[in-house]
Formats: sequence, C-alpha cells, structure tokens
Amino acid sequence: MRRVSVDIGGTFTDCFVAWDEHCIESKALTTHQNLALGFNEALSNACKTLELSERELLSQVDSVRYATTLGTNALIERKGPRLGLLTTAGYKSSVPLSRAKGYGVGLPHQQQMDVPNAQRPDPIVPIPMIMEVRERIDYAGDVVMQLDEDDLRDKIRQLVDKGAEAIVVVLANSVVNPVHELRIREVFLDEYPGHMLGAIPMLLSHQVAGRKGEYVRAMSTIMDGFLHQAMYHGLGTLELNLRHAGYTKPMLCNHNSGGMAQLNSTDALQTVHSGPVSGIAASEHLALQAELGNIVATDMGGTSFDIGIVVDGGVKHYDFNPVIERWMVSVPMVHLVTLGAGGGSICRYDRMFQTVQVGPESAGSDPGPACYDRGGMKPTVTDADLVLGYLDPANYAGGHIKLNPRRSRQAIDDHLGEELDLDTIACAKLIRATVDANMANGIARELRTRGYEPENFTTLAYGGNGPLHACGIARALGVRRILAPPFASVFSAVGAGNMSQLHIHEMSAWTPLFDANQRRFFDDYPRFNGIVEELERRGREDLVRQGFEPAQIRYQLELDMRYGNQRVETAVVTELNRIRQPQDVLMLIEQFHQRYGERFGSGSQTPEAGVRINTIRVRAYVENPGISFKDIKPSAIRLAPPPPRGERICHFVGHDGPLTTAIYDNAALMPGTAIDGPAIVVTRATTYLVEPGWRFQAAGQNAVWFTMIEAGDKA
Amino acid sequence: MNDMSVAAEQQALLDQFLVQNKLFFAPDPEIMENHRIEARSAVEEQLLSQPVDPHKVNEVRGLIIAALDESNTMIEQMGAAPGAKWGDMTTAIFTAAGDLSMIAPHGVGGFAAAVFYPIKFINKYWAHEPTVGVRDGDGFIHNDARYGGIHNTDQSMMMPVFWKGRLVCWLSATIHEGENGSCEPGGMPAAAESKFDEGLKMPPFRIVENFELKRDLVTFLQNSVRDPKLQLEDMKVRLHSVLRLRQRIIKVLEEHGEEALIITLRKHIEDVVVEVRRRIRELPDGTMRTISFADSTLRENVLLKLNMAITVKGERMIVDMRGTSPELLNRSINAAQASFKTMLFTGYMQNIWPDLPFTMAVFTPFEFIFDNNSLINGSFETPQAMSLIPLFKTMTIACIPMAKFNFSLPQRYTAIVAPQYDQPATLIYGGLTQHGEYVGNFCADINGMGQGGRGHRDGEHSVSPPFAAHCDLGEIELMEEDLPMVRLGAFTLARDRVGFGKMRSGLGYEQIHTFRRSGLWGFMTGCSGSLFSSAMPLFGGYASPTYPLCKIKGINIFDELKNNPEKFKFDVIELMNTQPFENAQYSTHNMGMTFELAQPGELYMMCQGAGGGYGDVLQREPAQVMQDIEEDLISPDTARDIYKVVFDERSRIVDVDATQQLRDDERRARMARGVPFDEFVKTWTTPEPPASLPFMGAWSDPSTVYGIQAGTRVTMPGSALQSQFMLNPKDVLIATLQAENEALKARLGASAG
Repeated sequence: MRRVSVDIGGTFTDCFVAWDEHCIESKALTTHQNLALGFNEALSNACKTLELSERELLSQVDSVRYATTLGTNALIERKGPRLGLLTTAGYKSSVPLSRAKGYGVGLPHQQQMDVPNAQRPDPIVPIPMIMEVRERIDYAGDVVMQLDEDDLRDKIRQLVDKGAEAIVVVLANSVVNPVHELRIREVFLDEYPGHMLGAIPMLLSHQVAGRKGEYVRAMSTIMDGFLHQAMYHGLGTLELNLRHAGYTKPMLCNHNSGGMAQLNSTDALQTVHSGPVSGIAASEHLALQAELGNIVATDMGGTSFDIGIVVDGGVKHYDFNPVIERWMVSVPMVHLVTLGAGGGSICRYDRMFQTVQVGPESAGSDPGPACYDRGGMKPTVTDADLVLGYLDPANYAGGHIKLNPRRSRQAIDDHLGEELDLDTIACAKLIRATVDANMANGIARELRTRGYEPENFTTLAYGGNGPLHACGIARALGVRRILAPPFASVFSAVGAGNMSQLHIHEMSAWTPLFDANQRRFFDDYPRFNGIVEELERRGREDLVRQGFEPAQIRYQLELDMRYGNQRVETAVVTELNRIRQPQDVLMLIEQFHQRYGERFGSGSQTPEAGVRINTIRVRAYVENPGISFKDIKPSAIRLAPPPPRGERICHFVGHDGPLTTAIYDNAALMPGTAIDGPAIVVTRATTYLVEPGWRFQAAGQNAVWFTMIEAGDKA
Repeated sequence: MNDMSVAAEQQALLDQFLVQNKLFFAPDPEIMENHRIEARSAVEEQLLSQPVDPHKVNEVRGLIIAALDESNTMIEQMGAAPGAKWGDMTTAIFTAAGDLSMIAPHGVGGFAAAVFYPIKFINKYWAHEPTVGVRDGDGFIHNDARYGGIHNTDQSMMMPVFWKGRLVCWLSATIHEGENGSCEPGGMPAAAESKFDEGLKMPPFRIVENFELKRDLVTFLQNSVRDPKLQLEDMKVRLHSVLRLRQRIIKVLEEHGEEALIITLRKHIEDVVVEVRRRIRELPDGTMRTISFADSTLRENVLLKLNMAITVKGERMIVDMRGTSPELLNRSINAAQASFKTMLFTGYMQNIWPDLPFTMAVFTPFEFIFDNNSLINGSFETPQAMSLIPLFKTMTIACIPMAKFNFSLPQRYTAIVAPQYDQPATLIYGGLTQHGEYVGNFCADINGMGQGGRGHRDGEHSVSPPFAAHCDLGEIELMEEDLPMVRLGAFTLARDRVGFGKMRSGLGYEQIHTFRRSGLWGFMTGCSGSLFSSAMPLFGGYASPTYPLCKIKGINIFDELKNNPEKFKFDVIELMNTQPFENAQYSTHNMGMTFELAQPGELYMMCQGAGGGYGDVLQREPAQVMQDIEEDLISPDTARDIYKVVFDERSRIVDVDATQQLRDDERRARMARGVPFDEFVKTWTTPEPPASLPFMGAWSDPSTVYGIQAGTRVTMPGSALQSQFMLNPKDVLIATLQAENEALKARLGASAG
C-alpha cells in the first residue's frame, strides 16, 4: 500500500507515509498563511527518508488524506462571510439565546458556574442579520401556516441590502417536512439567480442536520455557512498544490464522523475536529489489527487532554450534539471529550483545601510554562516534570525549545512552596500526582457513564506528553498496563490514513415500538423501511458521486431508542436492515434492553413505560485497506536493555529520596527490549518515562508498553 | 397539687412516656431550624484530631466528585421528567450524620442542600425505630418540603452506605419531578388552600429494600399521581444513579479505607466553614438593608414584603428577616424556614461566591433571625406548594446588600450584579397528549431568566434560572413531539422590557402558546410581578418591568392561520393592541393563574422577565444605546425618553453635543425636582400603608407587621405573628357582583319611582 495522510494541527503539520513495507513519520511547522508550504516540507522530509522525489511519491500513492484544524481556526478568528439567517417567525431570538446555557458551553466547569461573569461568545450571526419568515409546520410535518412569499421576498431583500454574503435557512420542523425550506431556495434563486456574479450561497438546515432540535440545527447550518468559504479555499489550495506536484486523484478529507470523502462530498462542519477524531480512528484500527479489545484513547498535549472510546464489537460512541468551539451543534461526531490538563496547565495554591489545583487554565505555548523563559511566571505541569528530572533542558521538543530549570523552581517556590510548606521537589511531585489523578478521573468518568470499567480497556497514551505521564495515569486509574501506540507522535495522521469512505445520514422519526398506553406494538413497517431506504439512497448517492459502484457499498442501521419520555437516546447497532415481522420489533426491543442495561445497570430498564425509536441513522461506507500494524503485542521474549546514554537524578511520586535514573535513546525501541523503571527513553519526538515499579517493553513499529511489574517478576 | 415543680427523675419518666407515645413524627424543629453542620462525631473527632494530609483528602475528593459527576450524568441521560432533561436534578454525598458534603459538579445545589434535613430525620427517628430501621440496601424516598426541600414536586432517593457494619455516609439523588397528584396538574398547585391539596406528601420512608424498589409502595405512589409512567421511570432512575454512586464509594472504601472517606467528607466541609469565615472577615462591619415584594398570592393581588437586614460583625454574618409578611393559612405560597435558608444559600452560591463548593457548610457561620409564622418561616400546617413565590425572590434578594459589602473589596470573588429576574415565568400544563398520555408538568422556560446589569457589562439575556447555573431551555421541536402544545412565539426578546441602567439588564422573551390534537388540555402559571417590579435595580438603575399574562380566547388560531394568516402577528403587544380576530376575547391578567382548561387554538401569552438595571441611565454610552436599537432591544422612543440620546432616526447617527446637552438638562431637572432628604422623608413617608393597598409585612418599624385577616387589615407585633386567612376570591367576586346588582336595582327602582 502506498498512501500519504496528513494532520494539520495548530502548531505542527504531521505527515505519515505508508510506502510498501515502510512507514515514515515526519513533521513540519504549520504554515497558517499557506498550509501547502508546511505540508510540502513535511512531505519532503518523508521523501528524503525514502530517497524519492515528491513527484515520484505523489504520482504513485493511492490517496492523499487530510485531517485539518482549518475550521476550528476560522471559528476562533471569526474569519468567514457575513451571514444572514432566515428563520420561522417567533423564533428570531433562538440563536442569540443559545438555549440559555450557551453562555457556558465549551468553557471549563468553574466558568460555567460563575454566572455573574457570564458572557456569550461573539455571535456568528449578529441579531440584526436575523429575519423572520411567516410560516409554520408542526411536529408531524403538517403545514400550520403557509409560507408568506411576499413577506419572504421582502426579508431576503433586507438581508441582501444589509450585506449578507451567505444566507442560512432554519425553519421549525423542517426535518419532517422541508417543503418551506425548499420553496425559500426556489424563491431566492428566482430573485437572485445562481449564475450571476456575486451569487449568494444559501444553506437549508434540513440538508445539514437530519434530527430535531431547531437551535442545534441552526448552529450547525450557520457554522457550515460560515466555514464554507475558508474551507473551500484552504482545501482547494491544498488540492491544487497536489495537482502541481503530480498527484492526479481526488484529495480526500477526513470527517469528524470517523469517515472521509472527496471534497465534492464534504461539508465544512464535517472537517472540524477531524484531527483528534483521526487519532481515535487509528486507535480503532490498531485495536482490530492487534486484537487489543476495548481501547480508551488519550492524547495529552500542551493545553488539553482528549479522551475517546473504541469498543470491541462495533458499538460506536457519538456525540449527537457535540460542542464545537463555544456552540452546540447537531451532527453525529465521534465522541471526544477534552479536559483542561496538559503540559501547560497552570498550578495554583488552593487556599480552601490547602493543596494544589492544576488547570484548567493553561499557559499555552505563549508565554508557555515558566521554563520556556518567555515571560510565563506561573508554574505548570511541564515545570514540575522538568524539576523532577524527566526532561532534558537542552533537548526538549527535538531541541527546538531550550528549557530553564531555574525558572521552573522559582515559579514553583513563589506560588506554591510557602503556602504548602513544601520544598520544590515535594511541590512538583504533588503537581504531578494531581494532574495524573485528574486525567485518570476523567478517563474513569467517560468509561463508566457508558457502562464500562477501565480495567476492561487498554489505555492508549499518545500526544506530546502522553508517554511522559502514562505510568502516573495508569497508577491513578488502577490499571496495570498502558500502551504508547506506534507512530505516537503522528498518531492522528496515521488515523487519517486508516479511514474509510463513510457517510452518515439520519432522520428524526417518531416510532413507538411499544406503546405502553395502548399496549400495542409497532406495525407500520412500510413507513420505517421507507425511511431506511431513503437514508440508504442518500448515502449511496454520496458514494457513487465519488466513483464507487453500488455493489461496493455497505450499510449499517443504527437506531437511537428510549423508554417512555426519557431524554436518553441509546444508540443500538442492529444487523437488521428492515422490519418485516413482529419478531423483528421484539428483537430491537431486546437489543435496546441489553445495551441500556449494560450502560445504566441491570434492572434500570423500563420497557413498561413504552419503547420508542427517535432517530434512524444509516452509515453507508466502502471499506478501504488500512495501514498494517504488526507485532504490537508485548513480546514473550525480552531483550536486555541497550547501554544507557547516560543517567540523571530524578524524583518520583511515592518515593521519598532521589533515584538515579538511566537514560536511553532510540535504541531502546528495538522490539522486545525490556527496561525496568526508573528509566527514561528519549527519542527525537517522544519522551517515555518509566516509573519505579513499571516496565518499558518495546513492540513492533515503535509501540511501547508500560506494564506494572508483578512481585517476583524480573526483566 | 398547686406546686407544678417536678423532680428531675420524675420529669425523666414523663419525658420517656412522651417519647414512647408519640402520635405523629412531624418535622422536628431541632432539625429543621438548624442549618449548621453537626459537631464532629466521636469517630470524626478521633480521626481529625490527628494530623490530616490535605493532599490525600484532595485525591479522595477527586474520586468522589468523579463518581458524583458520573451518577448525575446518568440521571440527566435516563430521566423522564422535563426537569431532569433540562438540568433540574443532582446527586450528592453526606456525612454519616447527614451533613451535605459534596454534590455533582453540574447538579442543582439547592436540592442537595435541602436533602440533609430528611436524612437527619431518618437518623434521629427511623434508625432506631424497630418497625423501620436503617440497613444496608435500604433506600428512602421523600418529597415533603416541610421535612426539608424546596417544594413537593422534587422527589429524592436517599441511601445509607454501610462499611463493615457501620454507617459511613449517605447518598442522594433528586429530580424536579413535576406531577405529584396535587389538586392541579404539574405539582405546583397555586390553588392549594391547605397542605391536603398538595398531592403526595412524603416524609422520608423506606421504599427500597435489598437495593430493589418495593413494588407495592411503587404502585401506591403511581396510583396517587396523574402520570404513573413518569413516577415509575424516575424512581428507577434515582435508584440506579444512587446505586452507581454507591458502587464507586464502595470502591473508594476498598482502595483507600473507611478512615480516608470519613476524613475527606468531614474535612471538606470544615475547610469550607473556615474559608467562609475568612471571607466574612474581609467585609467591612456594618448593616445593609433591602426589601423585596411579591405582588400576588396567585389568587389575589397583595403586596407581600420580604424584609432583610444583613449585619457583618467580624466573622459573623447575621441575616435578620423580621418584618416580613405573615404566613397565609389558605394560600400555597408559604415557605418553611429550612427552604428559605436553602434558597438563600443557593443565591449566595450563584451571585456572591460561585467559586465555593456546594455544601450547606457555607452557611454555618451565618445566624438568622425570623419572626415565627412569617411567609418565609411558615408553620407546618400552611400549604407550601408554590413556595417558589417568596423563594425565587430569596435567591436574588442578597445581591443588593452584598454588592454594597463587596464593592470596596480589593479582591472580589465574582462580578457585582444587580438582581436577576426572580419569578418562575413558565407555563405549567396538564392533560392528555396527542399520544394519549396523561401528563402534568412545566416548560423549560423556567431556566431562562434575564440577568441583572453588572458593574462591568450589561446583563445577559435569559441566561439561567436563579437556582442553578448552566441549565437548558431545550428545543421546542422536541417539546412539541411529546406534547400537543404549539409554540407560535418561541423565543422573541421582549423589546423595551428592560431594567434600564448604565449597564442594562438582560432581557426575557415573549412566549405565545397554544395547543391542538388533545381533547383535554389546560394551563396555569404561578408567577408574581405583574403589578410590582420583581427584580430590584442596583446603584441607580431601573427595576425590571412588570409582565401580564395575556389571553386570546374564543378562537381557534389554527383556523385563522389557515384561512386568514395575514391577521396573525408574532408579537404579543401587537396582538393585544390591534385585536385582529373578530369575536375573540382579549384579556390581560396577573401571572398567578390557577389551572384552567383551554380550547384548542386558544392563545396564552406571557413573557420571561428582565433583571434589574445597574447604574444611572444617563451614564450609558450612546453607542450602546444605538446598538440596543439596532438589535431591536429598545425602541427609538426609549432611547430618547429614558437614555436621553439625540440621534437621527434614519441614519442612527448620534448627535453627541445635543445628547450631552439633553443629559445635562436632565441632571439639572433632577436637581430641581430634588428636595433635602429630611424634607423628602417628611412628605414621602406615611404612618401606615395607604388604605387601598393590600399590604402585608412591616411598613417602617420591623417589629410591627401588617396583615389582612379575612379581608380586613390588621396589625400585630412581629414577635407574635398570626396566620392570615384569605377570603375565597370567588366569594369576593360574588359579593362584589351582588353589591353592584343591589346598587343597580336600587338605581332602577329609584328611576322607576
């Protein structure tokens, strides 16, 4: 297999090239002014390793795939067109009010609680650019009030006169009956034909999100409209760059749904957070190939700690109303939770409880931790790691950043030492224990709210700080092993190379499988099957547009179900693709019963209150060959450690005195190598910290296992 | 025998008889009047008198909070009640003695803060009662606010945790359930004239044995409410979320030991007490006073006063509520003292110290002074189903005195904020849905009250309820899927209904409700503030406006929308002023509407409210005023009349000089209107309320309180308040109509003669 996959992040552009049996990792700084430059540099680095020209490489790969944070950056910088919003009369303040809780969405818990300082984010659509349309459709799709077209033309004119560069249409209940949204577009095109220079794009909400919830659907459509231009130009430039460099196939974009598609089948919103989601996709692929079972994927970077879940057996964990930047939206996105814990997390004295608090505030990369010597005065996790001896001041981040340990000590002493009445080392250990516990608690919460236990999962630790904190997280989590995956420093890019073409279509559909009041079972099979057929048709169209034959396409039906009037919608993945008989209905009810019991506890089910399907979802996909992960499991044969490169005095949580700690280099990554802690392995991209009582075991493709050493077990 | 003195041993025998022959385990004043944490138990004393590692405590605290978060998330995901769906719930953990230690990070603190009372009741009465007892695997249910709580729509599950045979802590899960079988659907009956109209009144009793719900008792409860499905679903939700929490706590006990858990729960609240004392010490000594009024009993218009004086002396904070309105024997708006303290605590957590952890220990340094039998210190016999009327005000009332205390602090713990809108402006509904289900509950609009203006910026529109942060207004499309209601006006910010000020308040929004596809449906509202402003202003701003309930009856709006759509305006004021539908009845009311059945297509219209303004309107930047016009928050007339801004209406360009001139003129006019303070006092104050004003509470001297006893004004000493009995509004109306009839007859007779 020959393939290039890229994850364009905020700081680095990561590139992963699969070239027959070779897997090449490379990095370059992201060039925000022109993303192609960073990509070209990263690709050029990989080509040097393979001794190929870029043209030779690009002309022979099966695909080039991108995961990108372009959309997130555009949102943060508010770079987008002036949007106008047309919405159902009586709903004009729905978006500005953002369901009340919008002031705190996307913020850390402490800020959510601080209502007197509440501040909603600057709006993407300012209030004067919101116009009401006189129409109304009810929950069942019946027209309550016909669209007033004279009024509509007037409102469109007003938005255009106010400088709208794109128009978003969000009408109540349009997902069950889109007739008015469709008519609005006809009227709009009649007034402002699309072939004219300066034609204004119009987005209809029911085409962006298929489930009910007018606010979240509005925000999805608004974001799509807002990001469209930036993404179109950004990704278009990248595709052009590839053409010039000899690549002739369509460029592929990774989606936050865990799939990918060509540009012609990608909407802007689907690309947001596709980088971190790609890491989860890589985890899923790794789990399958290496038979690792359940996986919780964690990515500890400079400012945050991302957690994702991959479950053996295909249960998908989505967020149906994920938060993007400061807004809730309505797209099925692979579940990903972010905690404020990273190397840059700021530590402060907690006066009330006489201890240390770590995060969620972060020093970021500017000014960064105190040891960066860029003006940061507050102690951070990286400062603690440096003081404890884990980091090489002269060789941090591949030598790009020189660290000043004196600054770290000073920051820790000034802000924590006196109040805690502890010396610098003790403070640093406390910081480390606290941040590791915070991350472990975050992982445990994520798993347990879904009915899983951490000990039944393999924890993956990647990202810049993951392997440095792996043992601490595992200890706090109560698990005995943790895996730093292969190609850990470009793991999201690896994931980008493993995705399949996938399109998810869903539709809100009130479907009572068991009506508790009437004690009747669902029997309108044609209606249900008709919806499934329609969703399959949409997925098929997406894939056929990209050159696939209908026979290649596979479908998976997922149902969001609930008891009575609950809010929860537990996703049930079913082998059924149609309902044909009462037994099928009972089978769905039973599947739901099982899944719900696993999640919330046996006996918590209430089928006597009724069982209902709220949303029907179809995943249409074409399977692609992925990167081959080999020999990931710990080898039974243990190789002796290579000679250490040196040694340092380090301090460890749970150990009173300093410990002399051997330092190893790349040689330690030879598969089978076993090193008992305390030890540190430093490679060009990653620092692996092996705490006392833990063992480092190198596996294939630079994967590393940290395992707790059992009593009597010697390396 | 005339000598009534009894020897001690004789008295002990009498006391023993009384204990052994208790007629009824009513709420215990010893529990209900004590808001402070208990003294350390012997075990706690033994453990905490030795050096404690605060970092170990922090580690265990992290595990407990993660467990609370997990269990609370379960309720949110599993819950069926609208309250559970949109954030009105929590899980919590208590010490063995019943003191609230911690709640789930996103939980509603008031719920947990109220549950410690019933836990203490169980500990005191049921633990040693042979017919009850407290055992591993037991779970207790409770909803009666008289035993602790905010109101009877909230149902809690409380479970003891035993470790090696010893009770080590309590756990709870609470949901605002809504329907509870009261005389009106939805669980908050404004029409309740006695506590026997309130539906379920559950003192804490065991409903779970061996970790399972007892189906006979569940059936009894289902049989007592309109929505048996909801009752069953959420009882299971509460049980299973508490079981999940228990599972995690057992793991903490296994891994860290009993001592670590006991130390953490206790140290956590003791540390909070120390911190609060420190914060009180930072404040200047002195007394700050404020008042607040509810303007309705939900049956008639009456000004009901809440009178507050807060005194800081060193590390003591004394809250004096004397002079508050007396309780009303046959109206549902009374609140128990414990409920009042819980909601005042909630207000402190929302507006004054939002960074503190949610535990009632925050109030341990506080002292309270009440008149007995007042509206907020109601007696056991009073109905309290709509205690929200004084309690919502309770949550914002301290904003003004605490703003004054905090203003000069070098370090504030949050922003200075004028009171938020403080009435439950939401529609309560009941009836048969389009799916054939009986329901009774309330809309999520209760979560969207406008914020007061702030020292540093305008208030946020419809930002939260006053009882919790980060709650959710929900989605109308989802609501309409379950209920026959159609929201023709969903969210429209209410133009000109603003707490004006240098920093204006956040606005509320108009709601236009109707329904169809149901043969039995009705509405009620339980809200005051239609005649007297709800949210008080701060430092010279304007109070929030008043809001009426508007109805258009005698039509089916769906026919009109089909046949004459052009007649319908999505604007409450325009509909009421232009009255576009012939033969319809248009009416306005105060927002205290008892449940009434409606006809399909009739319109019920109301408004979520704005907070109080902050600072003088003449100091508001003209550019901000123009932006308010641009965003349709105020009209040009308001800009001119209130803010004194001169501008060109077409271009909206401000004439800076003319504005300055107009504002200077207004300042001079104010000075001209002004009189010296003593003179003002002489002309303004009166010895008693105007005779025409239905008024309850102290007028000027807090020790003398006015009331209305069966229609007649009375005064009484605050130290001996009498419960007030209100006339039946129907009787009052009949009497009025009879008098008019008699007068008419007399006039006709006279003219005939």
